[in-house]
Amino acid sequence: MATINANATISSDIASYPVTISGEMTMTKSANPSVGLEETTGLRTKKFTTTTAAVIVEHDELTDDKAHKVYIRNASGSRANFFYVAYNASAAAAAEAETIGKLYGGDWMLMPYNGNVNITVASSTATETQYLEYMVFADGIEAAKG
Amino acid sequence: MATTAQISITSADLMPGSALNITASTTLTKAGVTADLDQKESGVIKLVSGTEYRLGPLATEMAGDAHDIASYLYVHNKTTEDATYYVDWGIHETMIGRLYAGDWMFIPWNASDDGAEIEIEPQGGTNIIEYCLFNSDVILPSAAA
Repeated sequence: MATINANATISSDIASYPVTISGEMTMTKSANPSVGLEETTGLRTKKFTTTTAAVIVEHDELTDDKAHKVYIRNASGSRANFFYVAYNASAAAAAEAETIGKLYGGDWMLMPYNGNVNITVASSTATETQYLEYMVFADGIEAAKG
Repeated sequence: MATTAQISITSADLMPGSALNITASTTLTKAGVTADLDQKESGVIKLVSGTEYRLGPLATEMAGDAHDIASYLYVHNKTTEDATYYVDWGIHETMIGRLYAGDWMFIPWNASDDGAEIEIEPQGGTNIIEYCLFNSDVILPSAAA
């Protein structure tokens, strides 16, 4: 069993009173919240030079209906460019089902993921190279079959 | 008027011999530009299981081209119950993951159209969630005449 801690701090002065949100969690298994996640696909970095959609998380490598967590970060610097991130077998686009959101340069996300459908991304630009970092904290990895 | 979101993910024993230490920070801005987001809505709500709820506005409740709206959603399941309690979350009627007791999530939200709303469905019993949506273009409903 491993111990994986994920902490978020969101600070905002949008309102006239400052807002600070602190989220702390230890990633645990769906079947037992006292047992930590102990598998990962590893931290990956991928370069994108086209707008073609690509699968970054293949759901069939993960056990269905579990408490996986997916971390994704657009490691590029431009706020003009982004990645579509979708819960889809092969596509990611503006009105594609189910595109979750747009991850602009520097943005990160951490979401619970059930492992039932692929996670797909598409870069918004083919003229500027973008880099994506991503990692799955898995609640069950299906061993590759020979 | 800035909003920053920071994350750290650490583990000394997930990958023995290679301690994990991810840190990242971003400033939330309007779509495609460097101007800061300037609106938010937040709350703490009790959700009874067995019903799907919409969290946040519909695309048509936000000004401009919905595709170009940048929104970010933070949700924290404050429930302290066992593993039978969780909140399914998804886009429209497609559930994407389970937010168990104590779990939080932070995502960008596309809001492409009214069929891309954020949905949550509590399971196991009453779940308590804390949420905050950062965006730029929400329109309030017109007051009744």
